[in-house]
Amino acid sequence: MNDPVRIVRFSIFDRLFHVFIMVTFLIQAVTGMGRLLYTTAWGKGVVNLFGGYDGATAVHNTVGILMLIGFVIHIVYVLAKVEWKSWRRSLFDADSLLPRRRDVVHLGQKIRWFFGLGPPPAFDRWTYWEKFDYWAVFWGLPLLAVTGLPLMFPLAASRIMPGWVLNVFVLLHRAEALLAMLYIFIIHFTIGHFRRGMFPMNECMFAGSVELEKERKEKPLWIARLQEEGRLEEVMVAGPPRWYRVIYFVFGYSAVVVGLYLLLNLLIYRSYIEWH
Amino acid sequence: MDLRRLLRKAVLQAALGLLGAMVLWPPAVPAQEEVTSSIRRYKQRELSTGYYEEYEVKPRRQRPRVRAPEVIRQFTPVTPYRPGAAMGAGVRSRLEDSHAGIQFYEQRRCEECHVTEATHSRTVRGNLTCRQCHGGEPIAGINYYYSPMNPIRRHAYVCAKCHEGASVSFATYLVHEPKAGDPATRKTFASLYYANWFMYLLIVGTLGFFILHTLFWMGRETYHAIREKRKPEPREEAPPQEPQNE
Ligand code: HEC
Ligand code: HEC
Ligand code: HEC
Repeated sequence: MNDPVRIVRFSIFDRLFHVFIMVTFLIQAVTGMGRLLYTTAWGKGVVNLFGGYDGATAVHNTVGILMLIGFVIHIVYVLAKVEWKSWRRSLFDADSLLPRRRDVVHLGQKIRWFFGLGPPPAFDRWTYWEKFDYWAVFWGLPLLAVTGLPLMFPLAASRIMPGWVLNVFVLLHRAEALLAMLYIFIIHFTIGHFRRGMFPMNECMFAGSVELEKERKEKPLWIARLQEEGRLEEVMVAGPPRWYRVIYFVFGYSAVVVGLYLLLNLLIYRSYIEWH
Repeated sequence: MDLRRLLRKAVLQAALGLLGAMVLWPPAVPAQEEVTSSIRRYKQRELSTGYYEEYEVKPRRQRPRVRAPEVIRQFTPVTPYRPGAAMGAGVRSRLEDSHAGIQFYEQRRCEECHVTEATHSRTVRGNLTCRQCHGGEPIAGINYYYSPMNPIRRHAYVCAKCHEGASVSFATYLVHEPKAGDPATRKTFASLYYANWFMYLLIVGTLGFFILHTLFWMGRETYHAIREKRKPEPREEAPPQEPQNE
């Protein structure tokens, strides 16, 4: 059996950040939702896994701070990654995640393609929805941190802002968390893994590499660019070993199951969510 | 290969079945107990003990950096938080005993009459009883001059019982938040009202757009896949596979 040719897509750091955000996000989702639905039997059951309401709060707060530290490390990593000597090229070329005008064009082409009015867009390394995934986390995390930290230390916070701001922060924190959960559990899971052609699992974020031939169809401009620059050979790697695949299949599917379970209960108990 | 397809199909159908069950599942409401507050139920005994009033008030000596518009008169008439705007209706708010003359008051529980206050997250989640904040009889109106709840001393007489060092600024936190979506909130707590609308539009916009986007996408892909299957093309990777039991 000859393995298909694979090329690198994510560095080990990218993958570690992704695993980190997966784990911390799910812990926050579980402890947060348990407390959000504390008035229901389900919420109490979830919260009891962490030793009651206070235990769940302690876990939520600790992991929140961990997330914040991870976010700061990520920013340092990203800043170190930019080649500042040629910053204009480094920030705005096709390997960068910054949004470009072409992403809007791609979105338009994609919508045209939905209705059979044109060919699908030819993507480079990052598609517009992948960029959105990244930036959604990037502005969601600071918003959750800015609203979450004052709630963690309400007394200290009331020394630098009026106490009623906390009322607003509770609302923002809750709404942003709901948006994040719904987005990840519905849209991110579907686009990433449940789509035709991706179905059992999109392994690239764990394996770090993708099959060249598959990618030629999904992201033709990227492959073409690599070929043009003569770097295609450089980025070729061996596939992930079997034991590693087993590990990340189990890990990934556990995460998906937890997510869908939370989504299910979010829908079941939707009338108990206190919006205000 | 055959087994894999079968497995894939089984998983897909299980997922669809789950989704269907999720939608058709009866709402969880009947599964819940029919009490105003399942959390406070066992706390009724504590109501008359007065235990919570024995806490000492211990304000810290900290200069408040943030002042509350209701407490310290400000020069700007426009503040985002004006609970006074909703106070007009509270006819009993300045009474020493806000329940004076209310029939059968002694026989009933707070949450029977004050339904909205009893469901507010702060009191439910913090597992607090009404009396821990509002004190024993008589329960003074919020704006009664000597009431512990009066904003001029609320921080020291109420909040500081549990939150050591509570300041005036801290006490402006609204324990009984108005409903953020309620049009009346625009007058009483404008920032909450607009924050709510902002998040609402953000959620509906983001999810609405991306859910439609995903649905159309999957529909289109399915359409292409079906068409490809109908006329087997020469560049299929594994040609001898058409006779599936579809
Ligand atoms: C029999 C029904 C009833 C019960 C039981 C009851 N209340 Fe009241 N309460 C009222 C009414 C009616 C008012 C006056 C409402 C108004 O002025 O808008 C009132 C007013 C108040 C106020 C003053 C509101 C203001 O605007 O200043 C407070 C505080 C209050 N109640 C707390 C409590 C607490 C705490 C309990 C439980 C120990 C309780 N009430 C039990 C009916 C009740
Ligand atoms: C954490 C302290 C706290 C607890 C617990 C609490 N209250 Fe209050 N309550 C307040 C404060 C502070 C106010 C003043 C206005 C505000 O913040 O909404 C108030 C105001 C009220 C009012 C006046 C009308 C209003 O909504 O502003 C009523 C009625 C009332 N409370 C009833 C209750 C009842 C019934 C309970 C028990 C379920 C309860 N409170 C529990 C702190 C508390
Ligand atoms: C009887 C004790 C008690 C009193 C009195 C009390 N609180 Fe609290 N408060 C708590 C507890 C317990 C928590 C933590 C509950 C939680 O984590 O949800 C809390 C949490 C808070 C928070 C954190 C915000 C959040 O959502 O986690 C704020 C703000 C707050 N209280 C404001 C007040 C104000 C303002 C008063 C005075 C009107 C007050 N509290 C009086 C017990 C009290």
